[in-house]
Amino acid sequence: MKKVLLSLLLVGMVFVPALTKSASAGESAVGNGSALTDALQIGEITGLGDRQVTIKTKFEKSAKTYTLHLLPECYVMTAKRADFKKFSELKKGDLIAAYGWYKDGKWNARRIDILDTNDYLVKRLDMDAKAGVYFKHEQY
Amino acid sequence: MKKAFALSLATLVALVSFAVSASAKTTVLTPFDKRDWHVIAPQDSDAPLRDYAILYDAGGVDGALGVIGIPSMRTYRHIKCGVDLHNFPFSGSNAGNNNGTPDGKYLYVSDKGSDTIAEVNLQTGWPERIFALPKPFGIHHSAALSPNGKYLWATGELTGKMLKLRLSDGATTVIDVPPAPSAPDYPDTGRAGNYVFSGNYYHSTVMVFQQDPFKLVKEIPVGKNPHGTNVNPTNRVVAVCDKLSATLSLIDVQQLRVRKVIPVGAGPLHNQWDTLGKYDYLSCFVSDSTSKIDGIRGQLVDEFPIHYRVGHNSIAPDNAYYCSQNKFSTGLFTPTGIVFAVNFELQDIDETSPTYGKSVKLIPVDGEPHEGRMIFANYIQRWNTGKGAELFTKGYDLGDVHISFDKGPGLAKVRPQLEPKHADNTSKVWIPRDDGKPGITKEGDVYVVRIKAFSYGYVPRFIHVPKGAKVRMILTNIDKAAGLTKNPDVTMGLAVYGYYGMRTMLISPRGISQVAEFVADKAGEYEFYCQHFCGPLHLEMRGTFFVDPPGGQASLANGDYDSVSMQEQLLDESESEFIVGTNKLMNTLKEGNEPTI
Repeated sequence: MKKVLLSLLLVGMVFVPALTKSASAGESAVGNGSALTDALQIGEITGLGDRQVTIKTKFEKSAKTYTLHLLPECYVMTAKRADFKKFSELKKGDLIAAYGWYKDGKWNARRIDILDTNDYLVKRLDMDAKAGVYFKHEQY
Repeated sequence: MKKAFALSLATLVALVSFAVSASAKTTVLTPFDKRDWHVIAPQDSDAPLRDYAILYDAGGVDGALGVIGIPSMRTYRHIKCGVDLHNFPFSGSNAGNNNGTPDGKYLYVSDKGSDTIAEVNLQTGWPERIFALPKPFGIHHSAALSPNGKYLWATGELTGKMLKLRLSDGATTVIDVPPAPSAPDYPDTGRAGNYVFSGNYYHSTVMVFQQDPFKLVKEIPVGKNPHGTNVNPTNRVVAVCDKLSATLSLIDVQQLRVRKVIPVGAGPLHNQWDTLGKYDYLSCFVSDSTSKIDGIRGQLVDEFPIHYRVGHNSIAPDNAYYCSQNKFSTGLFTPTGIVFAVNFELQDIDETSPTYGKSVKLIPVDGEPHEGRMIFANYIQRWNTGKGAELFTKGYDLGDVHISFDKGPGLAKVRPQLEPKHADNTSKVWIPRDDGKPGITKEGDVYVVRIKAFSYGYVPRFIHVPKGAKVRMILTNIDKAAGLTKNPDVTMGLAVYGYYGMRTMLISPRGISQVAEFVADKAGEYEFYCQHFCGPLHLEMRGTFFVDPPGGQASLANGDYDSVSMQEQLLDESESEFIVGTNKLMNTLKEGNEPTI
């Protein structure tokens, strides 16, 4: 009995903070790194499924993993010049910006931009992160 | 000898073949007779004149949208939409920055003069429907699209109301925003379907509305007279330009409170986030500059001088350029008439570019444009390559997503080419400065209304005429120091919104008065406002025109609003089926049945 209680306590210590951190109403996401409730996620593709993309976030203090579900109207394009791509042209390792929203337990993507690693803004986010100014860790 | 000759020959042959193969890599132009003119994909023989992005600007007093190429800054065309255009979202979704996530089908531009929203088909290049808003309303902006693209929010600046509009049929839900006076101003929507944010310059607050069901949930105090209110692409903060405090307030979207106030250039009016939410660019009217804010550090990190007083702004969809949409052009261009051209100034914001922070193009622009938004050029299909029928009936693809046109009311078989009227049923003349006493006098059966305009107000501010009166309205600019701006070319304007918008639209540079004559045949209380940008408090320059019904005084509850809401005067009679909305559909939305995301 004692062991069961101890296990429950341990489980609670591990999972409860994680659950409350994800998306409780009224709690600020600002300054705390990326959140499931964000409408923009930036990361590298680590997995591809049926209109699903898994990304590992970039430029943050600690990378997070999100699975993005593409809405039927979600298109894929390059962030430079908007060359429209097919979903099948996405590949692991691509750096993407995904725009969408969290609803009903899923992160729904409305648009996916394939980022150019030579773009000044991507370089800036990279340089800032290396200098300790992390994306989505707003300093206010 | 023979050996040496053979060796030289072999070397020569090798050199020639190397040169040929090297040159063969550099140029391949499709021969003229081999070119397939019906292929839409870009070819190497395309003329090098194509722009990669298009800036659409709501042309203000022009009543037309401007279509300008980026980065060439060439004006391609104007699309006539109505009376006094202010701003628009592209159809699709609001995901991303102010440019949204377009599908290339439409944009929805607010017309403050006629109190309508025009739906412009970007593929045909003409308006297709006019959303007639319930009266009285007094729209200013309609910038706010829902994430799923099915709804718009618009601010009734001139009556203190807000509305949610269903794009499929123009049905609306309208709510009042007390306490009066209340001026819902520039709105933006939360990217995750939660809130709508709108500045209120009378309250110096940002109002927060729930999208679904639509209701006011909070007012957040910010700096004085807030204007541009833009949600970050991450949906974590809202940036608010505190016009008279020279600050930018950053509001936490989840906690609904101000987290940080950043001192910026003087007179911040509008702001534009880049697509990654890293930087926010502000147009600062009084300091003649673009302030660049680091959205992570919460600091002003750069400031670019601009040449002339700025109003609105826009940013390229790839974040490479920023357009400062300036309001005055003193001494800059060749005069072309009483009304001067304003100007657009393109700035390079690519930090790796040798011209970073510099103005790279400056062009004269007609009208007095308000909001601009940019879209990648290849959303707009090539209709003139033999593919027209297919585009018309089937639509087009963006990658593996198919886009087709709705079959909305009246649109089952046709794509209308509407050309809304700009200034109809009006007799207007210019006269030398009129020095008559301000107020109303009666000359025969004509009510002569003399109005003096200055920075920033009118004398008189309240005007009463009986219904059916013949009105002669004379606007005279009595500005001396041109207010805070010190610009000698300040032009004052007066437009009575809604039904009388097309009948007024008066403009008065210093030394010249303008006169409009019309019959006040629709009773009601109608705000008038300065439609020609004159300085930082231009927006707050207002008055009221009462057309009193027999035996009573006009008010927001007493007027011919049902009749006025039909907006028949904006289109030809045969096109009236393309006017949707009106008072008949007021409050018919079934909130919650059709969510906004």
